Amino acid sequence: MYNRAVIVEDNFKKCLSQNELPQTFDNYLWQSQLIPAHLCVEIFESQLTSRVLDLKTRELRAEGESFYTIGSAGHEGNAAIGAVLNLGDVALLHYRNAPFMIQRSKQLPGQTIVFDMLLSFVASSEDPISGGRHKVLGSKALNIPPQTSTIASHLPKAIGMALAIPRKVDLKLTQRCDDIVLCSFGDASLNHASAQSAINTACWISYQNIPLPLLYVCEDNGTGISVRTPEDWVRNNIAPRRGIKYFYCNGLNFLEVFEVTRAASDYVRKMKKPAFLHVKTVRLLGHAGSDIETNYRSLNEVELTEADDPILHSAQILIKNKILTPIQVLQRYSDIRDSIERISKIAVSRPKLSSSKEVVECIVPPGQVKLSPLEVHEAERERAFGREWKKLGDMWQMNKLINFALKDLMLRYPEILVFGEDVAKKGGVYNVTHGLSKSFGQKRVFNSPLDETNILGTAIGFASSGFLPIPEIQFLAYVHNAEDQIRGEASTLSFFSKGQFANPMVIRIAGLAYQKGFGGHFHNDNSINVFRDLPGVIVACPSNGRDAVLMLRACVREAYENQRVCIFIEPIALYKTKDLIQVGDEQWASSYPVDTNLEITVGEMGILGDDDHDICVLTYGNGYYMSCQARQKLEESYGIKLRLIDLRWLAPLNHRQIAKELKNSSHVLIVDECRKSGSLSEELVTLIVEHCQHSPRIKRLTSDDSFIPLGEAADLVLLQTQDIIDGCLELLGRLHE
Amino acid sequence: MSRKKAVVICPGRGVYNKTELGYLTRYHQDKLELVKKYDQLREQNHQVSITELDQASKFSPSIHTRGENAASLIYTCSLLDFQSINRELFDIVAITGNSMGWYTALACGQALDFEASYHLVNTMGSMLKDGLIGGQLIYPIVDTLWRFDIEKYQLIKDTMAQINAEKDCEIYTSIHFGGYIVLGGNELGVKLAMQRLPKIEDRFPMKLAGNGAFHTPLFSEISQKAQQLILEDSFQAPAFPLIDGRGKVWQPLSCDVGAMYRYTLNHQVTKTYDFSKAIEVALKEFAPDCFILLGPGSTMGGAIAQILIQHNWHQLETKEDFIQLQQNDPYIYSMGLEQQRRIIC
Repeated sequence: MYNRAVIVEDNFKKCLSQNELPQTFDNYLWQSQLIPAHLCVEIFESQLTSRVLDLKTRELRAEGESFYTIGSAGHEGNAAIGAVLNLGDVALLHYRNAPFMIQRSKQLPGQTIVFDMLLSFVASSEDPISGGRHKVLGSKALNIPPQTSTIASHLPKAIGMALAIPRKVDLKLTQRCDDIVLCSFGDASLNHASAQSAINTACWISYQNIPLPLLYVCEDNGTGISVRTPEDWVRNNIAPRRGIKYFYCNGLNFLEVFEVTRAASDYVRKMKKPAFLHVKTVRLLGHAGSDIETNYRSLNEVELTEADDPILHSAQILIKNKILTPIQVLQRYSDIRDSIERISKIAVSRPKLSSSKEVVECIVPPGQVKLSPLEVHEAERERAFGREWKKLGDMWQMNKLINFALKDLMLRYPEILVFGEDVAKKGGVYNVTHGLSKSFGQKRVFNSPLDETNILGTAIGFASSGFLPIPEIQFLAYVHNAEDQIRGEASTLSFFSKGQFANPMVIRIAGLAYQKGFGGHFHNDNSINVFRDLPGVIVACPSNGRDAVLMLRACVREAYENQRVCIFIEPIALYKTKDLIQVGDEQWASSYPVDTNLEITVGEMGILGDDDHDICVLTYGNGYYMSCQARQKLEESYGIKLRLIDLRWLAPLNHRQIAKELKNSSHVLIVDECRKSGSLSEELVTLIVEHCQHSPRIKRLTSDDSFIPLGEAADLVLLQTQDIIDGCLELLGRLHE
Repeated sequence: MSRKKAVVICPGRGVYNKTELGYLTRYHQDKLELVKKYDQLREQNHQVSITELDQASKFSPSIHTRGENAASLIYTCSLLDFQSINRELFDIVAITGNSMGWYTALACGQALDFEASYHLVNTMGSMLKDGLIGGQLIYPIVDTLWRFDIEKYQLIKDTMAQINAEKDCEIYTSIHFGGYIVLGGNELGVKLAMQRLPKIEDRFPMKLAGNGAFHTPLFSEISQKAQQLILEDSFQAPAFPLIDGRGKVWQPLSCDVGAMYRYTLNHQVTKTYDFSKAIEVALKEFAPDCFILLGPGSTMGGAIAQILIQHNWHQLETKEDFIQLQQNDPYIYSMGLEQQRRIIC
């Protein structure tokens, strides 16, 4: 009784055999000059194929063979969108867009879309897009990056992809290009913060007449799992907005979908402005296989929706316009049913992922053969550096050195784009991007609206399109509202695409605490855990200007050659620090390493001191700075010798190498400026216990489990140099000397 | 018993040889009326009749393998084989072919009627009667167990790139043919490829006598000429799904006839014919119970098997696995083999 899949299928066959098709729409009339008959049938065949796949995956689920039952039933109208858009138009698809993908596959000979989709249902390692890692709609050949998103997290990156199209032309990285970006989602997803962020940003960009060839498609079935979308919510939410043009079509009438999509995509293509295509659909078969709709809707409502089955409407269109007969429709359905039955029998027999090694092998994207970065002539560098060119040998602080490094990198890699809040004319809050906009122009260095989701999403989009973005997040605390762009999107792309897609980038983040008397928590955040458990992501944290230059170069190379996502945490408090012990000693300043081939490679630690030491200190960032202060004091006052290890690279941590460095240390002090709970210090203790067979004495120093208060009160909860001195004395049993 | 779902494969050039002489008389006595119709058409064109070719006392390479004769002869045998398939036993779910086998596939699939299909085959087969354009050679890309050899493939690609970099030399991939690659090029290009590709088993690289540089840009003029001689209105939507030499499926109800015409006389003539892709699509999008390889000949069976192995279909990993499968319950039926033919007809 409640197997609606069976009921819906029987209903389709019965209506056709008894000629009880749904009431016609006013605009059922087919015009061959708008859409040829063969294309009407092709769209219909895509719809039928998608429907049968929906039914088949539920049958396979019942047999324990399929692992995904969210389908496209009711949304089959989107096949017509697939017929309108070109293969060159990148498509970020909603999970109910199988008909689109099936239809698009017909634009490229040699596709085996049915087999491939069945492989993804059954999580076979031969699934060509994710290799059995997730049911995603995606295909390299079809220009469909895989989407796992159920939470609209793919909308922000669509903006980056759309911006990238004209930007590549502007920067002469490609010829004229009329491609557009399509990004689809459901009506419930429209309410997500990331969706609102993206649509707002699209409007913000378009409002300033910056080209943005982007088509958002909202497929509105009126329900988010069990929650009703208020009547006309989508239209009234979007249509009045400035900067984005609203289009509407009835998704049950594929002729209308075709025509309106063409109008909308023509507008986007021609005007280079964003549009919002609102497609009204129905949802059949519930949210997913496990969803029993009658728990929250009346049976009558369910049946009324089923009577509005889009494939019945499509059949009606084809029959009324004498393109097909009911017998032909039924025969075609039966043929598709039979062939999918046969194909599924093969698909279930195909291999599955069989080891953890196999699962994780594509977390890190494959390296790629790329042209070497440009050889930049001295004269060109001199021009870019201006008056500072002759002063590069002076002693500089970190913010200035990073600024120099960025200049050199932008000269060498024309794909680099720098953007974020205030990075352009102002040069960033801490002047790290000072002058870049003047030297490289607003197409490469530009301000973003104050919205980190948008900044990171835009970066992903640019990165996916061949650029090498270096976005700036102004303060570490601001990343937390946007973390899913890194966690759910950027870091997962290679994994979910078997290494076929990647979004290489270097995200610069001004972070950590110790700004003297400034800012409070939101400008002194000292929690970096959000980045530490992201498989495949490189996290760098330089403690001084010279390291920052050499590590930034390594990050850019890792992004360029190995398609890596890198997080580059710059300790704010050290930006302008030149001195270590006393004013004017300039122990924390350095000249600029002008040889651009010099780098600190990923995993390479900074080591101060030798095997002849009393305590080895494991630390990073401000902790390293303070440890250097403590080292001097301890040696002078107590004759205690410290060996300092600046980890520099916080993820992935090279456990074995760290353990090797500690093999001659009887006492190890871990100095971690972040919070006691969950900080890197915990992992360091664990690795020593697990890997150091000589069991050194360990002590851990951290800041308190607190948010950072304003003014001098900050020092009350933050680890201080004196704590390190005391910690060392305690570790050696000399605290009360 | 339910009918076996079969994908039919139409063979390409070079399959009618000495042992095939008398094929029509041997297997198609019941359809000689149709052969007569071809004979009449050929006689009108002052060409040797099909009957005369098939019933010749001995196989004459200079006559039987000449394009205008061989194409029509092979086409006729294949088409009549297709008509001989016992449809009570086999349900044909798709038709494909290799190289000129695409023309036969169009005919079997009824995308061209009797006269139009004959006209197409004969016109295309006669295109080189005034002289060959370039040539073809064949070379293996699998090891002795029929497993894909990526190093060998890369060597071929590198050799081709070197040859194309030389003055007046052209060499292209003409056909992806299972475990073999067929290269097509101008005389100089083919000559250099024959010299530079490492010898294998004293057989390869093997020059394909009498063949031009089919499926390469060298045939651009032929393509244009063909479009003048053969008109789009002779094409119609097929009655069966057809899989072309790119792996595109032409469905009966949604066939863009104009596009199919353009493919047949342009892309198909001037660009690589990917038979391997066509078979892959047949496997994955139709999942047939078996393949039926039309006659004459049966030499394409190996190439099809190599594609099965490449896709690990039915757990096939090597040539031996395939031989065993064929012995137990054949997956590929060759109508050119007496014993298997009996199962089909």
